[in-house]
Amino acid sequence: MVRFLGLGLLLLGLLLFPLAVELPYPQHVMILIFLYAMMGLAWNIIGGYAGQVSLGDATYFGIGAYTTAILLRELNLSPWVGMALGALNAVVVSLVLGYPCFRVRGHYFAIATIALNEIVATIFTNWDFVGGAVGIYVPILPESFVNLQFHRSKAPYYYIALGMLILVILLNLWLSRSRLGYYFRAIRADQDAARALGIDITRYKLIAYALTAAITSLGGSFYAMYVLYIDPTSVFAFSISLLVVLVAVLGGVGTVAGPILGSVILISLSEGTRVLLGGTGRALDVAIYGLLVMAISVLQPQGLVAWFRALRQPKAREVKVGRAPS
Amino acid sequence: MEGPLLELKKVSKRFGGLWANREVSFKVFSGEVLGLIGPNGAGKTTLFNVITGFLRPDSGQILFAGQDITGWPPDKVCRAGIARTFQLVRVFRGLSVFENVLIGALLRNPKPKAAAELTRQLIELTGLRPWAEELVDGLPIAVKKRVELARALATGPKLLLLDEVMAGLNPKERQEAVELVRRLKSELKVTVLMVEHVMEVLMPLSDRVVVLDFGVKIAEGRPEEVVKDPEVIKAYLGERYAAGFGSLGGL
Amino acid sequence: MTAELLIQVVVSGLLIGFVFALISVGLTLIFGVMDIVNFAHGEFLMLAMFTAFWLYALFGVDPLFSVLACGPLLFLVGVLTHKLLIKHILNAPMLAQIFCTFGLSVFLKSLAQFLWGPNFRSVTEPLLGGRIELFGVFFGLPQVTAALGAVAATGAVYLLIYRTELGRALQATSEDRQTAALMGIDTEKMFTLAWGIGAGCVGVAGALLAMFYYIYPEVGTIFALTSYVVVALGGFGSVTGALVGGLIIGLVQVVSGFFSPAFKMVVVYLVYLAVILIRPQGLFGRW
Repeated sequence: MVRFLGLGLLLLGLLLFPLAVELPYPQHVMILIFLYAMMGLAWNIIGGYAGQVSLGDATYFGIGAYTTAILLRELNLSPWVGMALGALNAVVVSLVLGYPCFRVRGHYFAIATIALNEIVATIFTNWDFVGGAVGIYVPILPESFVNLQFHRSKAPYYYIALGMLILVILLNLWLSRSRLGYYFRAIRADQDAARALGIDITRYKLIAYALTAAITSLGGSFYAMYVLYIDPTSVFAFSISLLVVLVAVLGGVGTVAGPILGSVILISLSEGTRVLLGGTGRALDVAIYGLLVMAISVLQPQGLVAWFRALRQPKAREVKVGRAPS
Repeated sequence: MEGPLLELKKVSKRFGGLWANREVSFKVFSGEVLGLIGPNGAGKTTLFNVITGFLRPDSGQILFAGQDITGWPPDKVCRAGIARTFQLVRVFRGLSVFENVLIGALLRNPKPKAAAELTRQLIELTGLRPWAEELVDGLPIAVKKRVELARALATGPKLLLLDEVMAGLNPKERQEAVELVRRLKSELKVTVLMVEHVMEVLMPLSDRVVVLDFGVKIAEGRPEEVVKDPEVIKAYLGERYAAGFGSLGGL
Repeated sequence: MTAELLIQVVVSGLLIGFVFALISVGLTLIFGVMDIVNFAHGEFLMLAMFTAFWLYALFGVDPLFSVLACGPLLFLVGVLTHKLLIKHILNAPMLAQIFCTFGLSVFLKSLAQFLWGPNFRSVTEPLLGGRIELFGVFFGLPQVTAALGAVAATGAVYLLIYRTELGRALQATSEDRQTAALMGIDTEKMFTLAWGIGAGCVGVAGALLAMFYYIYPEVGTIFALTSYVVVALGGFGSVTGALVGGLIIGLVQVVSGFFSPAFKMVVVYLVYLAVILIRPQGLFGRW
């Protein structure tokens, strides 16, 4: 009961935020937090639930961004349709990559995701139609929800991003109760035991990865309409892949609260160091990310959420040994 | 008499120069409990892995309900109706007992509600209710084994392969396990093929017994016949005892 | 395509291929013994390259001689990595293992960027500069020297693994950790050695590369990705595979670079996907 009340208040606060704080920069930071929380939750599906490590999600971010921008420029196609098609592209690419990799051990997949990120970035950098290294400007449209463009204030972007995040949260919650979600977790816990229970692990890994790719690409499409200029360096950057992974891992792999918490902390850190240390600071905050990832993997692979849980319920699970069955 | 539920025809599997299974043939009939015994390294678990699709046999055939399932992947084998437990318990860590069994139930009951209903029934049947909501991670081995069993049963198998369920259990737990297997046969009408080392348990439970040694089948028949078979005695106790020993294990 | 051009392309491919082989031998050794992929392998290389560069820039030491410094230095880095990090995640789930070396890679790369900036450096006047004529075609002397150095180092590692007692112990540990322990092999020592030698290989390779390659914080990434492909092609855990794979990928890279410089890495990655699809265990792989 208390929980619901707390969540309700939080939601109310978030909804009122742009009205209370009308400055563009804080709104921008919140939008980034929502965006990365959403992509962290997406990563969670393949990484947290299904247990396959993807280190190149920027691939799908970029595919979403470029698909939306190009379709708008060439065919005057609504950004919302562009978003859907971008997701479709992302799904196809993820299946093509996933199929060979999911039949073999986890390392292959992790490496392949990095490689794919590089390949796609290289292709787009050398492809004149999409502007090559220079990138493209997204055509400016009259401000409206249908056009997914707003010029006077960031507030509408804020609400759209928040809306997308909420939808993805709901998806994750649904997954945690559905057959799909259970099968993902079985695969992560013990692949062979899962197979012995009739689970086609390749098929389910592909589904998980396709979901991750689709949602991440939605983030990219949104980004294109938000920033209105994209190039390979800004949308296929390895730092995006890295940040997405960190957000999920720091907060807590396999939980819903984890990526959200991770996003809040890491985006604040990122923006904070950028503001304080200027240009050189960029590398330092990434160095801190690296340390964090190492520390988490050694000390608490379950992420911060697990720490909080442990703090709240120090004697969470008392197993009563030697109890006679009823 | 109807055809066998499971039939192995000259199944062979080698690892490098070593024959783990060599032309093993036998049948398992619907409704029976077949014991599979043999000294360590006789190839019992390998045979299980071959039957359930984790390993491909080098030659031979496996027929299930008349269908050739040789070389089928494990998930397909399970969907066909064969479930198994593992020698070293493999429960899904980080999930509760209920969730573990639920995952098994979801195979033939895709809707979580129906699956949950079946899960509740199986948890009752296997006496797991006291631990239903607990994470499997910290549970004692006897409970974990029961979870694995309930989970395998949840897939609605016609044939259940049990790999050394008794290992690591104390006498009281063993008694409970024997009871459970008996009920599998009588109430759930599940055919059982079980690998076991603990003779006192296997012999009373089994309708028939197959004995492997160094990958080869050396005996097959009713328990009381098999224990008197000199080849079997030799395999377990060595040449010396074969001549002078009446039967194995004082049964 | 004239005969000269063909020779140019093939020999260049083989020359860089030998360096790839050395780098990959280190990677495959670590994987073979520990069952862990070192995602920081490229950054180890980068550290070696920078060490060679600074020794040159500050003390005028030619990279060829820095080999003697970089090899042992990276050996130490490898040992430290194991003792401080890897030891603690030996039995952790794969997720944690991947993240651990991945985090190290990120940390080292950005630390380098923070300390030395993103600019490209190079050793402008190597001792063995200039060109050499082979088979009627000219090649850079540094490249040829590097290849020879790589062959020597790879040969040394090969002899160590297959002709010494220590090497046999390493092989046994990579075959079956538990049995090796039962046989009295100090597996902890084997693990430490694997990391040490694996990093040491990269240390030598880095110094050799510094003779002619650009040095910058991101340089490790491309070599690392290439060596993952090499190891996959050759077979995870196989030293012979790393050598053969290195040469093949060297050739592939130079040949495709000839046709399309921008897309040469794309071809290499496509080879990777093809390997996984057709023969995941690679040419000489164990499983």
